Amino acid sequence: MTIEFSLNCEHVSIDVDPTKRLLDVLRDDFGLTGVKEGCSEGECGACCVLLNGQLVTSCIIPIAGVHGQDVRTIEWVRTTRLGETIIQSYADGGAVQCGFCIPGMVMASYYLLSNNPNPTKKEIRKGISGNMCRCTGYDLIVESIYLAAKRVGELHKARG
Amino acid sequence: MSEKLHIAQNLEDALLFRKENDCIVMAGSSDLMVSAYQGYGALPKFDKPVLLIRNLEELIGVRRNSDGTVEIGACTTSRQIVESPDTPWVLKQAAGRMGAVALRNSATIGGNIANASPKGDTPGPLYLLDAVVNVMSLDGGRRSIPIRDFIIKFRTIDLKNDEIITSVTIPVSDKDMTYWFYHKIGTRAANAISKLTLCACAKVSWGEVKDFRIAATASGPVTNRSRDVENIAIGLKFDELAAKASEISGAFDKVISPRAMPEFRREATRRMIEFFIDKVSKNSYKKFYN
Ligand SMILES: Cc1cc2nc3c(=O)[nH]c(=O)nc-3n(C[C@H](O)[C@H](O)[C@H](O)COP(=O)(O)OP(=O)(O)OC[C@H]3O[C@@H](n4cnc5c(N)ncnc54)[C@H](O)[C@@H]3O)c2cc1C
Ligand code: FES
Ligand code: FES
Repeated sequence: MTIEFSLNCEHVSIDVDPTKRLLDVLRDDFGLTGVKEGCSEGECGACCVLLNGQLVTSCIIPIAGVHGQDVRTIEWVRTTRLGETIIQSYADGGAVQCGFCIPGMVMASYYLLSNNPNPTKKEIRKGISGNMCRCTGYDLIVESIYLAAKRVGELHKARG
Repeated sequence: MSEKLHIAQNLEDALLFRKENDCIVMAGSSDLMVSAYQGYGALPKFDKPVLLIRNLEELIGVRRNSDGTVEIGACTTSRQIVESPDTPWVLKQAAGRMGAVALRNSATIGGNIANASPKGDTPGPLYLLDAVVNVMSLDGGRRSIPIRDFIIKFRTIDLKNDEIITSVTIPVSDKDMTYWFYHKIGTRAANAISKLTLCACAKVSWGEVKDFRIAATASGPVTNRSRDVENIAIGLKFDELAAKASEISGAFDKVISPRAMPEFRREATRRMIEFFIDKVSKNSYKKFYN
Protein backbone atom coordinates (compact mmCIF):
# COMPACT_ATOMS: atom_id res chain seq x y z
CA MET A 1 0.00 0.00 0.00
CA THR A 2 1.26 3.49 -0.74
CA ILE A 3 1.54 5.58 2.40
CA GLU A 4 2.18 9.30 2.15
CA PHE A 5 3.02 11.53 5.03
CA SER A 6 5.16 14.40 6.12
CA LEU A 7 8.42 13.20 7.63
CA ASN A 8 10.59 15.79 9.32
CA CYS A 9 8.87 18.48 7.22
CA GLU A 10 9.34 16.68 3.91
CA HIS A 11 6.56 15.01 1.94
CA VAL A 12 7.38 11.32 1.60
CA SER A 13 5.66 8.43 -0.11
CA ILE A 14 6.43 4.78 0.39
CA ASP A 15 5.08 1.49 -0.83
CA VAL A 16 4.99 -0.70 2.22
CA ASP A 17 2.99 -3.29 4.14
CA PRO A 18 0.42 -1.11 5.94
CA THR A 19 0.77 -3.04 9.19
CA LYS A 20 4.52 -2.51 9.40
CA ARG A 21 5.36 -0.60 12.54
CA LEU A 22 6.15 3.10 12.17
CA LEU A 23 9.32 2.34 14.16
CA ASP A 24 10.52 -0.18 11.57
CA VAL A 25 9.67 2.04 8.61
CA LEU A 26 11.59 4.94 10.12
CA ARG A 27 14.62 2.79 10.84
CA ASP A 28 14.67 0.38 7.86
CA ASP A 29 13.13 2.37 5.07
CA PHE A 30 14.24 5.89 5.96
CA GLY A 31 17.45 5.13 7.84
CA LEU A 32 16.36 7.22 10.82
CA THR A 33 18.14 5.15 13.42
CA GLY A 34 17.84 7.74 16.16
CA VAL A 35 14.50 6.06 16.85
CA LYS A 36 15.36 3.10 19.08
CA GLU A 37 13.60 -0.15 19.83
CA GLY A 38 13.61 -1.12 23.49
CA CYS A 39 10.60 -2.97 24.79
CA SER A 40 8.51 -3.20 21.59
CA GLU A 41 5.32 -2.72 23.58
CA GLY A 42 4.86 0.93 24.38
CA GLU A 43 6.43 0.81 27.83
CA CYS A 44 9.96 2.20 27.54
CA GLY A 45 9.73 5.31 25.34
CA ALA A 46 12.91 4.60 23.34
CA CYS A 47 10.92 4.78 20.10
CA CYS A 48 9.19 8.12 20.81
CA VAL A 49 8.37 10.42 17.89
CA LEU A 50 6.02 13.35 17.42
CA LEU A 51 2.84 12.57 15.52
CA ASN A 52 0.99 15.76 14.65
CA GLY A 53 3.00 17.39 17.40
CA GLN A 54 2.03 14.81 20.02
CA LEU A 55 4.50 12.44 21.65
CA VAL A 56 3.75 8.81 20.74
CA THR A 57 5.61 5.50 20.86
CA SER A 58 6.25 4.40 17.27
CA CYS A 59 6.44 0.68 18.13
CA ILE A 60 2.68 0.45 18.65
CA ILE A 61 1.58 2.38 15.56
CA PRO A 62 1.23 0.75 12.15
CA ILE A 63 2.59 2.86 9.30
CA ALA A 64 -0.96 3.17 7.94
CA GLY A 65 -1.78 5.21 11.03
CA VAL A 66 0.39 8.10 9.84
CA HIS A 67 -0.99 8.29 6.30
CA GLY A 68 -1.63 11.98 5.64
CA GLN A 69 -0.15 12.96 9.01
CA ASP A 70 2.94 14.77 10.27
CA VAL A 71 5.79 12.78 11.81
CA ARG A 72 8.93 14.22 13.37
CA THR A 73 11.83 12.32 14.80
CA ILE A 74 14.89 13.13 16.87
CA GLU A 75 16.68 13.86 13.58
CA TRP A 76 14.41 16.90 13.19
CA VAL A 77 14.20 17.88 16.84
CA ARG A 78 17.97 18.16 17.11
CA THR A 79 17.96 20.85 14.40
CA THR A 80 15.59 23.09 16.36
CA ARG A 81 16.74 25.70 18.87
CA LEU A 82 14.88 23.97 21.69
CA GLY A 83 16.18 20.54 20.68
CA GLU A 84 19.74 21.82 20.49
CA THR A 85 19.45 23.41 23.91
CA ILE A 86 18.10 20.20 25.42
CA ILE A 87 20.86 18.08 23.90
CA GLN A 88 23.57 20.52 25.03
CA SER A 89 22.09 20.56 28.53
CA TYR A 90 22.08 16.76 28.66
CA ALA A 91 25.77 16.82 27.73
CA ASP A 92 26.66 19.57 30.19
CA GLY A 93 24.58 17.99 32.93
CA GLY A 94 26.23 14.59 32.55
CA ALA A 95 22.87 13.00 31.84
CA VAL A 96 24.08 10.44 29.33
CA GLN A 97 25.64 7.07 30.05
CA CYS A 98 25.15 4.35 27.44
CA GLY A 99 22.87 6.69 25.49
CA PHE A 100 20.31 4.19 24.31
CA CYS A 101 17.35 5.87 25.98
CA ILE A 102 18.51 9.39 25.18
CA PRO A 103 16.83 10.04 21.79
CA GLY A 104 13.49 9.05 23.33
CA MET A 105 14.26 11.09 26.45
CA VAL A 106 15.08 14.13 24.34
CA MET A 107 11.81 13.70 22.43
CA ALA A 108 9.88 13.57 25.71
CA SER A 109 11.84 16.56 27.03
CA TYR A 110 11.11 18.49 23.84
CA TYR A 111 7.41 17.67 24.09
CA LEU A 112 7.35 18.66 27.74
CA LEU A 113 9.16 21.97 27.28
CA SER A 114 7.13 22.89 24.18
CA ASN A 115 3.96 22.60 26.24
CA ASN A 116 5.33 23.75 29.58
CA PRO A 117 8.43 25.93 29.26
CA ASN A 118 8.77 26.33 33.02
CA PRO A 119 8.25 22.91 34.57
CA THR A 120 8.88 22.02 38.20
CA LYS A 121 11.12 19.02 38.83
CA LYS A 122 8.03 17.02 39.67
CA GLU A 123 6.48 17.96 36.33
CA ILE A 124 9.71 16.96 34.60
CA ARG A 125 9.60 13.56 36.28
CA LYS A 126 6.01 13.14 35.13
CA GLY A 127 6.93 14.26 31.61
CA ILE A 128 9.58 11.56 31.25
CA SER A 129 7.78 8.93 33.32
CA GLY A 130 7.14 6.86 30.19
CA ASN A 131 10.83 6.79 29.31
CA MET A 132 13.01 4.21 30.93
CA CYS A 133 16.72 4.53 31.51
CA ARG A 134 18.71 1.55 32.66
CA CYS A 135 21.84 3.52 33.49
CA THR A 136 21.47 6.92 35.09
CA GLY A 137 18.94 6.70 37.86
CA TYR A 138 17.17 9.67 36.22
CA ASP A 139 18.38 12.42 38.59
CA LEU A 140 20.91 13.89 36.18
CA ILE A 141 18.40 13.70 33.35
CA VAL A 142 15.86 15.64 35.42
CA GLU A 143 18.50 18.22 36.36
CA SER A 144 19.53 18.58 32.72
CA ILE A 145 15.98 19.17 31.55
CA TYR A 146 15.63 21.75 34.30
CA LEU A 147 18.83 23.37 33.06
CA ALA A 148 17.52 23.33 29.49
CA ALA A 149 14.31 25.06 30.60
CA LYS A 150 16.33 27.81 32.30
CA ARG A 151 18.55 28.25 29.26
CA VAL A 152 15.57 28.54 26.95
CA GLY A 153 14.02 31.07 29.34
CA GLU A 154 17.22 33.13 29.23
CA LEU A 155 17.30 32.97 25.45
CA HIS A 156 13.78 34.35 25.33
CA LYS A 157 14.66 37.09 27.84
CA ALA A 158 17.75 38.07 25.87
CA ARG A 159 15.65 38.35 22.73
CA GLY A 160 13.10 40.46 24.61
CA MET B 1 -8.67 -12.02 1.40
CA SER B 2 -9.49 -8.41 0.70
CA GLU B 3 -7.12 -5.62 1.69
CA LYS B 4 -4.92 -6.45 4.64
CA LEU B 5 -5.58 -3.07 6.17
CA HIS B 6 -8.10 -0.46 5.17
CA ILE B 7 -7.67 3.17 6.14
CA ALA B 8 -11.18 4.50 6.64
CA GLN B 9 -11.73 7.72 4.70
CA ASN B 10 -14.80 8.72 6.67
CA LEU B 11 -17.37 7.10 8.94
CA GLU B 12 -19.53 5.87 6.09
CA ASP B 13 -16.55 4.28 4.38
CA ALA B 14 -15.61 2.61 7.68
CA LEU B 15 -19.12 1.24 8.17
CA LEU B 16 -19.20 -0.05 4.60
CA PHE B 17 -15.90 -1.87 5.02
CA ARG B 18 -17.11 -3.20 8.36
CA LYS B 19 -20.27 -4.54 6.74
CA GLU B 20 -18.49 -6.22 3.87
CA ASN B 21 -15.59 -7.70 5.81
CA ASP B 22 -15.17 -9.73 8.94
CA CYS B 23 -12.53 -7.39 10.31
CA ILE B 24 -10.69 -6.01 13.31
CA VAL B 25 -11.47 -2.40 14.18
CA MET B 26 -8.28 -0.55 15.08
CA ALA B 27 -8.24 2.85 16.76
CA GLY B 28 -5.16 3.97 18.72
CA SER B 29 -3.70 0.46 18.25
CA SER B 30 -2.09 0.44 21.69
CA ASP B 31 -3.67 -2.87 22.60
CA LEU B 32 -3.82 -4.44 19.15
CA MET B 33 -0.23 -3.77 18.08
CA VAL B 34 1.13 -5.18 21.33
CA SER B 35 -0.83 -8.40 20.98
CA ALA B 36 0.03 -8.70 17.26
CA TYR B 37 3.77 -8.28 17.84
CA GLN B 38 5.75 -11.18 16.40
CA GLY B 39 9.27 -10.33 17.39
CA TYR B 40 12.04 -8.06 16.25
CA GLY B 41 11.81 -7.13 12.58
CA ALA B 42 8.70 -9.21 11.91
CA LEU B 43 5.38 -7.84 10.73
CA PRO B 44 2.58 -7.78 13.30
CA LYS B 45 0.14 -10.63 12.80
CA PHE B 46 -3.59 -10.12 12.41
CA ASP B 47 -5.85 -13.01 11.53
CA LYS B 48 -8.43 -10.76 9.87
CA PRO B 49 -8.27 -7.60 7.77
CA VAL B 50 -7.78 -4.46 9.85
CA LEU B 51 -10.06 -1.44 9.61
CA LEU B 52 -8.13 1.62 10.77
CA ILE B 53 -10.30 4.41 12.19
CA ARG B 54 -7.66 6.25 14.22
CA ASN B 55 -7.85 9.52 12.32
CA LEU B 56 -11.58 9.78 11.63
CA GLU B 57 -12.52 13.35 12.50
CA GLU B 58 -16.15 12.36 13.03
CA LEU B 59 -15.14 10.16 15.94
CA ILE B 60 -12.82 12.58 17.73
CA GLY B 61 -13.71 15.18 20.32
CA VAL B 62 -15.64 15.98 23.48
CA ARG B 63 -18.76 18.08 23.18
CA ARG B 64 -21.67 19.18 25.28
CA ASN B 65 -25.03 18.41 23.71
CA SER B 66 -27.97 20.81 23.94
CA ASP B 67 -29.63 18.56 26.54
CA GLY B 68 -26.63 18.98 28.84
CA THR B 69 -25.19 15.51 28.26
CA VAL B 70 -21.56 15.19 27.26
CA GLU B 71 -20.62 13.12 24.24
CA ILE B 72 -17.13 11.77 23.67
CA GLY B 73 -16.15 10.42 20.25
CA ALA B 74 -14.82 6.85 20.27
CA CYS B 75 -11.41 7.84 18.86
CA THR B 76 -10.83 10.64 21.36
CA THR B 77 -7.51 10.05 23.11
CA SER B 78 -6.92 10.16 26.84
CA ARG B 79 -5.05 13.44 26.48
CA GLN B 80 -7.92 15.03 24.57
CA ILE B 81 -10.31 13.82 27.26
CA VAL B 82 -8.16 15.32 30.01
CA GLU B 83 -7.80 18.62 28.17
CA SER B 84 -11.46 19.19 27.41
CA PRO B 85 -13.32 21.55 29.76
CA ASP B 86 -16.47 19.49 29.17
CA THR B 87 -15.10 16.19 30.49
CA PRO B 88 -16.57 15.19 33.86
CA TRP B 89 -13.97 15.47 36.64
CA VAL B 90 -14.01 11.83 37.64
CA LEU B 91 -13.36 10.66 34.06
CA LYS B 92 -10.48 13.13 33.78
CA GLN B 93 -8.91 11.53 36.82
CA ALA B 94 -9.03 8.13 35.14
CA ALA B 95 -7.92 9.25 31.67
CA GLY B 96 -5.07 11.30 33.12
CA ARG B 97 -3.63 8.28 34.91
CA MET B 98 -3.60 5.91 31.96
CA GLY B 99 -0.10 4.79 31.03
CA ALA B 100 2.34 7.66 30.56
CA VAL B 101 2.39 10.77 28.36
CA ALA B 102 2.90 9.03 25.01
CA LEU B 103 0.33 6.32 25.66
CA ARG B 104 -2.28 8.97 26.42
CA ASN B 105 -1.73 10.37 22.93
CA SER B 106 -2.66 7.02 21.36
CA ALA B 107 -5.11 5.26 23.69
CA THR B 108 -8.74 5.98 22.81
CA ILE B 109 -11.83 5.72 24.96
CA GLY B 110 -13.53 3.46 22.39
CA GLY B 111 -10.58 1.07 22.56
CA ASN B 112 -10.57 1.15 26.34
CA ILE B 113 -14.26 0.25 26.47
CA ALA B 114 -14.07 -2.38 23.72
CA ASN B 115 -11.15 -4.01 25.46
CA ALA B 116 -13.55 -4.88 28.30
CA SER B 117 -10.76 -5.45 30.76
CA PRO B 118 -11.40 -4.97 34.46
CA LYS B 119 -8.01 -3.30 34.49
CA GLY B 120 -9.17 -0.60 32.06
CA ASP B 121 -9.23 2.83 33.63
CA THR B 122 -12.20 4.54 31.99
CA PRO B 123 -15.00 2.01 32.57
CA GLY B 124 -15.12 2.75 36.34
CA PRO B 125 -16.10 6.40 35.94
CA LEU B 126 -18.31 5.53 32.98
CA TYR B 127 -20.27 3.05 35.14
CA LEU B 128 -20.48 5.64 37.89
CA LEU B 129 -21.85 8.24 35.49
CA ASP B 130 -24.38 5.87 33.86
CA ALA B 131 -22.68 6.33 30.51
CA VAL B 132 -24.28 5.02 27.35
CA VAL B 133 -22.24 3.52 24.51
CA ASN B 134 -23.38 4.51 21.02
CA VAL B 135 -22.73 2.11 18.17
CA MET B 136 -23.51 2.40 14.50
CA SER B 137 -23.78 0.17 11.47
CA LEU B 138 -24.28 1.03 7.81
CA ASP B 139 -27.67 2.32 6.62
CA GLY B 140 -28.26 4.36 9.74
CA GLY B 141 -28.38 1.44 12.16
CA ARG B 142 -27.80 2.91 15.61
CA ARG B 143 -27.99 1.52 19.10
CA SER B 144 -27.35 3.13 22.47
CA ILE B 145 -26.51 0.68 25.23
CA PRO B 146 -25.80 1.46 28.91
CA ILE B 147 -22.17 0.60 29.59
CA ARG B 148 -23.11 -1.93 32.29
CA ASP B 149 -24.95 -3.94 29.60
CA PHE B 150 -22.49 -3.21 26.80
CA ILE B 151 -19.61 -4.82 28.69
CA ILE B 152 -21.03 -8.30 29.07
CA LYS B 153 -18.13 -9.96 30.79
CA PHE B 154 -14.36 -10.10 30.70
CA ARG B 155 -13.29 -9.30 27.10
CA THR B 156 -16.83 -9.62 25.77
CA ILE B 157 -18.92 -6.70 24.56
CA ASP B 158 -22.34 -6.32 22.98
CA LEU B 159 -21.04 -5.31 19.54
CA LYS B 160 -22.23 -6.91 16.32
CA ASN B 161 -19.88 -7.80 13.49
CA ASP B 162 -21.00 -4.88 11.36
CA GLU B 163 -20.97 -2.27 14.13
CA ILE B 164 -18.47 0.31 15.32
CA ILE B 165 -18.50 2.19 18.60
CA THR B 166 -18.97 5.82 17.61
CA SER B 167 -19.22 7.64 20.92
CA VAL B 168 -20.18 7.49 24.56
CA THR B 169 -22.80 9.76 26.11
CA ILE B 170 -22.53 10.86 29.72
CA PRO B 171 -25.71 12.11 31.36
CA VAL B 172 -24.28 13.12 34.76
CA SER B 173 -22.28 16.32 35.09
CA ASP B 174 -20.08 17.61 37.89
CA LYS B 175 -22.81 19.92 39.16
CA ASP B 176 -25.23 17.03 39.62
CA MET B 177 -23.30 15.75 42.62
CA THR B 178 -21.96 17.42 45.74
CA TYR B 179 -19.05 15.09 46.46
CA TRP B 180 -16.67 13.23 44.17
CA PHE B 181 -14.04 10.63 44.93
CA TYR B 182 -11.38 8.90 42.81
CA HIS B 183 -8.73 6.60 44.19
CA LYS B 184 -6.49 4.35 42.08
CA ILE B 185 -4.19 1.86 43.69
CA GLY B 186 -1.51 0.92 41.17
CA THR B 187 2.02 -0.28 41.45
CA ARG B 188 3.91 2.83 40.39
CA ALA B 189 3.37 6.34 39.13
CA ALA B 190 3.56 5.77 35.37
CA ASN B 191 2.23 2.93 33.28
CA ALA B 192 0.54 1.73 36.43
CA ILE B 193 -1.94 -0.91 35.49
CA SER B 194 -4.71 -0.46 37.96
CA LYS B 195 -4.87 -3.01 40.73
CA LEU B 196 -7.91 -1.44 42.23
CA THR B 197 -9.83 1.75 41.62
CA LEU B 198 -12.75 3.15 43.48
CA CYS B 199 -14.79 6.05 42.24
CA ALA B 200 -17.75 7.40 44.08
CA CYS B 201 -20.04 10.38 44.28
CA ALA B 202 -22.87 11.69 46.41
CA LYS B 203 -25.45 14.38 46.14
CA VAL B 204 -26.63 16.02 49.31
CA SER B 205 -29.22 18.73 49.45
CA TRP B 206 -31.48 20.09 52.17
CA GLY B 207 -29.73 17.80 54.63
CA GLU B 208 -30.62 14.64 52.77
CA VAL B 209 -28.62 12.18 50.66
CA LYS B 210 -30.31 12.44 47.27
CA ASP B 211 -27.92 10.26 45.33
CA PHE B 212 -25.02 8.00 46.21
CA ARG B 213 -22.88 5.87 43.90
CA ILE B 214 -19.84 3.67 44.13
CA ALA B 215 -18.01 1.83 41.34
CA ALA B 216 -15.03 -0.42 41.91
CA THR B 217 -12.84 -1.55 39.04
CA ALA B 218 -10.30 -4.37 38.89
CA SER B 219 -12.38 -5.88 41.62
CA GLY B 220 -13.94 -8.60 39.53
CA PRO B 221 -14.48 -9.63 35.94
CA VAL B 222 -16.24 -6.32 35.30
CA THR B 223 -16.70 -3.04 37.12
CA ASN B 224 -18.93 -3.45 40.17
CA ARG B 225 -21.81 -1.16 40.96
CA SER B 226 -24.99 -1.99 42.82
CA ARG B 227 -28.04 0.22 43.05
CA ASP B 228 -29.30 -1.93 45.93
CA VAL B 229 -26.26 -1.05 47.96
CA GLU B 230 -26.43 2.60 46.98
CA ASN B 231 -30.08 2.68 48.04
CA ILE B 232 -28.99 2.05 51.63
CA ALA B 233 -27.56 5.57 51.59
CA ILE B 234 -30.08 7.30 49.38
CA GLY B 235 -32.82 8.98 51.38
CA LEU B 236 -30.82 9.07 54.61
CA LYS B 237 -30.53 12.29 56.53
CA PHE B 238 -27.03 13.67 56.03
CA ASP B 239 -26.13 13.15 59.70
CA GLU B 240 -27.26 9.52 59.59
CA LEU B 241 -24.81 8.60 56.84
CA ALA B 242 -21.67 8.12 58.96
CA ALA B 243 -23.37 5.50 61.12
CA LYS B 244 -24.23 3.48 58.00
CA ALA B 245 -20.67 3.35 56.64
CA SER B 246 -19.86 -0.20 57.66
CA GLU B 247 -23.27 -1.47 56.59
CA ILE B 248 -22.75 0.05 53.15
CA SER B 249 -19.19 -1.19 52.76
CA GLY B 250 -20.25 -4.64 53.97
CA ALA B 251 -23.13 -4.78 51.50
CA PHE B 252 -20.84 -3.70 48.67
CA ASP B 253 -18.40 -6.41 49.65
CA LYS B 254 -21.14 -8.98 49.08
CA VAL B 255 -21.68 -7.89 45.47
CA ILE B 256 -18.02 -8.40 44.61
CA SER B 257 -17.37 -11.82 43.22
CA PRO B 258 -15.35 -13.53 45.96
CA ARG B 259 -13.40 -15.63 43.49
CA ALA B 260 -12.29 -12.62 41.50
CA MET B 261 -10.80 -10.69 44.34
CA PRO B 262 -8.42 -11.66 47.09
CA GLU B 263 -9.20 -10.60 50.63
CA PHE B 264 -6.70 -7.71 50.72
CA ARG B 265 -8.40 -6.04 47.77
CA ARG B 266 -11.81 -6.47 49.33
CA GLU B 267 -10.46 -5.01 52.53
CA ALA B 268 -9.01 -2.07 50.60
CA THR B 269 -12.32 -1.55 48.82
CA ARG B 270 -14.27 -1.59 52.11
CA ARG B 271 -11.84 0.90 53.62
CA MET B 272 -12.00 3.25 50.66
CA ILE B 273 -15.81 3.25 50.83
CA GLU B 274 -15.74 4.02 54.54
CA PHE B 275 -13.12 6.72 53.96
CA PHE B 276 -15.35 8.32 51.32
CA ILE B 277 -18.38 8.25 53.60
CA ASP B 278 -16.33 9.70 56.45
CA LYS B 279 -15.13 12.59 54.29
CA VAL B 280 -18.63 13.25 53.00
CA SER B 281 -20.07 13.20 56.52
CA LYS B 282 -17.50 15.71 57.68
CA ASN B 283 -18.03 17.79 54.56
CA SER B 284 -14.25 18.04 54.46
CA TYR B 285 -13.81 18.24 50.69
CA LYS B 286 -15.86 18.27 47.52
CA LYS B 287 -13.48 16.38 45.32
CA PHE B 288 -11.00 13.86 46.64
CA TYR B 289 -8.34 12.06 44.61
CA ASN B 290 -5.06 10.35 45.37
C1 LIG C 1 2.37 0.81 27.60
C2 LIG C 1 0.88 0.65 27.78
C3 LIG C 1 0.29 1.11 28.94
C4 LIG C 1 -1.09 0.99 29.13
N1 LIG C 1 -1.64 1.50 30.27
C5 LIG C 1 -2.97 1.46 30.44
C6 LIG C 1 -3.57 2.02 31.60
O1 LIG C 1 -2.90 2.56 32.49
N2 LIG C 1 -4.92 1.95 31.72
C7 LIG C 1 -5.70 1.37 30.76
O2 LIG C 1 -6.91 1.37 30.92
N3 LIG C 1 -5.16 0.83 29.65
C8 LIG C 1 -3.82 0.86 29.47
N4 LIG C 1 -3.26 0.31 28.34
C9 LIG C 1 -4.13 -0.39 27.38
C10 LIG C 1 -4.63 0.46 26.19
O3 LIG C 1 -3.76 1.52 25.92
C11 LIG C 1 -6.02 1.02 26.42
O4 LIG C 1 -6.93 -0.02 26.63
C12 LIG C 1 -6.51 1.91 25.26
O5 LIG C 1 -7.59 2.70 25.67
C13 LIG C 1 -6.90 1.12 24.03
O6 LIG C 1 -7.32 2.03 23.05
P1 LIG C 1 -6.77 1.96 21.55
O7 LIG C 1 -7.51 2.94 20.78
O8 LIG C 1 -5.31 2.06 21.54
O9 LIG C 1 -7.22 0.47 21.20
P2 LIG C 1 -6.91 -0.49 19.97
O10 LIG C 1 -5.67 -1.25 20.26
O11 LIG C 1 -7.01 0.22 18.69
O12 LIG C 1 -8.17 -1.46 20.13
C14 LIG C 1 -8.42 -2.17 21.33
C15 LIG C 1 -9.68 -3.02 21.16
O13 LIG C 1 -10.82 -2.21 20.99
C16 LIG C 1 -11.46 -2.44 19.72
N5 LIG C 1 -11.90 -1.12 19.27
C17 LIG C 1 -11.18 0.04 19.32
N6 LIG C 1 -11.94 1.08 18.91
C18 LIG C 1 -13.14 0.56 18.57
C19 LIG C 1 -14.36 1.17 18.07
N7 LIG C 1 -14.48 2.48 17.87
N8 LIG C 1 -15.41 0.33 17.81
C20 LIG C 1 -15.30 -0.99 18.05
N9 LIG C 1 -14.19 -1.60 18.53
C21 LIG C 1 -13.12 -0.83 18.80
C22 LIG C 1 -10.42 -3.13 18.90
O14 LIG C 1 -10.99 -3.94 17.91
C23 LIG C 1 -9.64 -3.92 19.94
O15 LIG C 1 -10.33 -5.09 20.24
C24 LIG C 1 -1.89 0.40 28.12
C25 LIG C 1 -1.29 -0.07 26.94
C26 LIG C 1 0.08 0.07 26.76
C27 LIG C 1 0.69 -0.41 25.48
S1 FES D 1 10.21 0.29 21.99
FE1 FES D 1 8.47 1.50 21.82
S2 FES D 1 8.06 2.05 23.85
FE2 FES D 1 9.67 0.63 24.05
S1 FES E 1 21.75 6.15 29.44
FE1 FES E 1 21.72 4.01 29.22
S2 FES E 1 19.60 3.60 29.16
FE2 FES E 1 19.66 5.66 29.66
